[in-house]
Amino acid sequence: MTLNVKVFRFNPETDKMPRFDTFKIEEFPNMAVLDVVMNIQNYHDPTLAYRCSCRIGMCGSCAMYINGRPRLACRTQVSSLGTKDITIMPLPNLPIIRDLAVDMEPFFEKYKKIKPYLIPKQDLKEPVICKPDSGERELIDYMLECITCGACYGACTMVATDPHYLGPAALTRAYCLIADKRDAATRERLVIVEQSEGVWRCHTQFNCAEVCPKKIVPTQAIQQLKKRCVFKRLGLFRG
Amino acid sequence: MEEIKADILILGSGGAGLFAALHAYDSNPRLKIVLATKGLIGKCGCSRMVQGGYNVVLDPKDSVELHFKDTIKGGAFINNQELAWTLVNDAPKRIHEMETKIGCFFDRREDGRIHQKPFAGQSFDRTVHRGDLTGIEIIARATDQVFARDITVLEETRGLELLTNSNGDRVVGALLMNIRTGQFIVVNAKAVIVATGGSASMYKISAPSFDKTGDGMAMCWRAGAEFVDMEMLQFHPTGLLAGKSRLSGSVLEEGLRGAGGRLYNAIGERFMERYDPERLERSTRDRVARAGYMEIMAGRGTPAGGVLLDMSHLGAEFVESKFPGMCERVRDIGKDLAREPVEVSPTAHFQMGGVRIDVNCYSSLKGLFVAGEDAGGVHGANRLGGNGIADSTVFGARAGDAAAEFAQSQDWVPVDQVQVKMFTNNVLKFFGRADGPDVYQLRDELKNLMWEKVGVVRTGQKLEQALKRLAEMSEEVERAKLPTGSLRGYNLALNEILNLRNQLVVAQLVAASALYRKESRGSHYREDFPETDNQNWLCNIFMRKKGDGYFIETRPVKLTRLRPEDVAAK
Ligand SMILES: Cc1cc2nc3c(=O)[nH]c(=O)nc-3n(C[C@H](O)[C@H](O)[C@H](O)COP(=O)(O)OP(=O)(O)OC[C@H]3O[C@@H](n4cnc5c(N)ncnc54)[C@H](O)[C@@H]3O)c2cc1C
Ligand code: SF4
Ligand code: FES
Repeated sequence: MTLNVKVFRFNPETDKMPRFDTFKIEEFPNMAVLDVVMNIQNYHDPTLAYRCSCRIGMCGSCAMYINGRPRLACRTQVSSLGTKDITIMPLPNLPIIRDLAVDMEPFFEKYKKIKPYLIPKQDLKEPVICKPDSGERELIDYMLECITCGACYGACTMVATDPHYLGPAALTRAYCLIADKRDAATRERLVIVEQSEGVWRCHTQFNCAEVCPKKIVPTQAIQQLKKRCVFKRLGLFRG
Repeated sequence: MEEIKADILILGSGGAGLFAALHAYDSNPRLKIVLATKGLIGKCGCSRMVQGGYNVVLDPKDSVELHFKDTIKGGAFINNQELAWTLVNDAPKRIHEMETKIGCFFDRREDGRIHQKPFAGQSFDRTVHRGDLTGIEIIARATDQVFARDITVLEETRGLELLTNSNGDRVVGALLMNIRTGQFIVVNAKAVIVATGGSASMYKISAPSFDKTGDGMAMCWRAGAEFVDMEMLQFHPTGLLAGKSRLSGSVLEEGLRGAGGRLYNAIGERFMERYDPERLERSTRDRVARAGYMEIMAGRGTPAGGVLLDMSHLGAEFVESKFPGMCERVRDIGKDLAREPVEVSPTAHFQMGGVRIDVNCYSSLKGLFVAGEDAGGVHGANRLGGNGIADSTVFGARAGDAAAEFAQSQDWVPVDQVQVKMFTNNVLKFFGRADGPDVYQLRDELKNLMWEKVGVVRTGQKLEQALKRLAEMSEEVERAKLPTGSLRGYNLALNEILNLRNQLVVAQLVAASALYRKESRGSHYREDFPETDNQNWLCNIFMRKKGDGYFIETRPVKLTRLRPEDVAAK
């Protein structure tokens, strides 16, 4: 089977306009879109730029806009696309370095704004004792699987319209820390996320959840944060 | 050319690089620390890809002595015992630090304490984990902590060469290249910590991330550092087979065998009964990998060249709840790990050999510290699953502490501009060269050559053939074409040439050392010398650059804490 692959090409330094190059690529069993991209770069056009590292969905380096939706190239099987026509573009809402490689800096800038690191409580001397069924970790545990791939950020229409909006991944991380009983800066973070570029920008469209390769529902984290923000306003937040 | 002055330069952002950065900074926040990494911070390297978990003694019924003994037994007694002892003693401190300072949260058992699961080759269930995707938690949280500190991070910036003083005995910094722009950067540093991971990617079937191509080891070699036991390269027994897809070789984690997973050949025999009747699939990696390889070679493999890993007898629900990540990965190739056997093959995984270090990560060159997979000696002839991420965080932290102390007592030694010029020319020469060997063809050849001749089963003859061809290829890569015009930034073809150049250095060290060790031990198996020979070979092999060639010698292992007799007697 031959795949018709259209690849977005753009060098911001030299090109006025982006273009699409077309490649005919032989499909093989278990081929992922990342295989397609590597194949093109290795054997058809060595100038193509893209980013990847782990090739098993753990590093979050290879998010691209594949047939109209942000996906991890390494975890998108060609056979799952249901067509032999593949269009590969860079992840939206981020500056392009070249071709399929985007600059993740704006994404991480916002991630850093919510203070993504644990600020441990003074009395935290030993690993906490926490029964798996105690509900103490609420929803956090599965959300910790976030690989900061930016797929949600690329899918979010609110990020597209407001470049300052913190976006789903940063808010999800904020929630994980605010709900973490070990952390001492929960209130500080709540102040950050309740500002105008924070949680209230989310219009619960679930675009993020639809594309997240780790099946995280950032909307859920954002709703949890909104609830806490309201409690805080009412003077009821304990944290 | 951009020039940066730093107290400490760290290359790599895996477990070793990140923990080095955090520890160096926390020992003295006034130090200027630069961390350069080939991919995006925390997203590249294998630490991120750690699935199974982290070996550490936490349970009062366990002991560091036992962990130590397992590590030395697993390493077939050629570990550097002081390094292994440091590993097992520091690991609890690092896990403690991760849980209370860095923000990691590992899986808990019913009573609320940290859960520890069984791993192969261990006398106690001591592997701490987060589901079956542990590395994400460790590396993401450590990266978050780097963000909290004033550490200069250079992403998509690769180390090209270490810079040395005129005597060649002091490392004074490094030449880097910003991959995005193609521009060179000179860093003049009092101390350099190399933590770039190994070069197992030079094999046809291999597990590591693509950014790991032996760069650090090759740089250290060219700078003149001493290496130890380079023949020791680990094959993981259960790499997924997925045809031509790059998914091939990715690891199905150790815990699967720990939990009771079984291996069958194509004619339905549970072949480990023949190779290690006592421990069966829970035997050490070297044995299981070799057994699988032998079955495949004997014609008892599947048509695609694999054996079968079967979990189905454990119950689909159990497998899916304990190993969701593995199930998901296998589902990507249209198979169901919980319900049917899956084709696997040994896959090149980890380098036990590397730069010789002491317990504080000092190398043989002043100013050069090495930690993690780039360093040798901790694991001897075979690494236990779960000891790798322990190694990189334990020794990364130590390298950070030691380099911070070193940097405070030292002054900068100026960079030699002639040397810089020579190194940059050695990269620039490729530009505009339209004809010459094709780097991707050479790379594919290297992968096949290593698999066939320097792989799971070795012979003197095959190793000699490999060495001959590797030497030729090292010349060919210097003449490689670069058909990308004037493109400087994000030039993946140029980077492939630089990768291959380094892989070829490491490949030659592995093959030469493998030829030298005329016995079989741990992951090094010589068909022409199939026995372990403690009379003559209870020793380490050291290599150093000498002119264009090398100097090689053996030194007896220092059995400072445990001797083979002590284990046999019990
Ligand atoms: C799939 C897989 C699963 C594993 N599972 C386990 C497990 O369950 N338990 C366990 O203990 N161990 C496991 N290991 C082994 C473990 O990952 C390694 O032992 C450990 O992570 C090595 O850490 P490191 O910091 O030395 O290198 P890495 O984490 O590999 O990091 C190397 C870093 O150096 C960077 N780099 C490379 N070249 C350059 C350059 N030229 N300049 C600058 N930076 C560079 C890389 O991009 C990366 O950031 C696994 C390995 C793999 C591949
Ligand atoms: S929430 Fe999901 S989509 Fe968003 S960055 Fe994390 S893993 Fe990627
Ligand atoms: S390459 Fe790591 S997630 Fe795709």
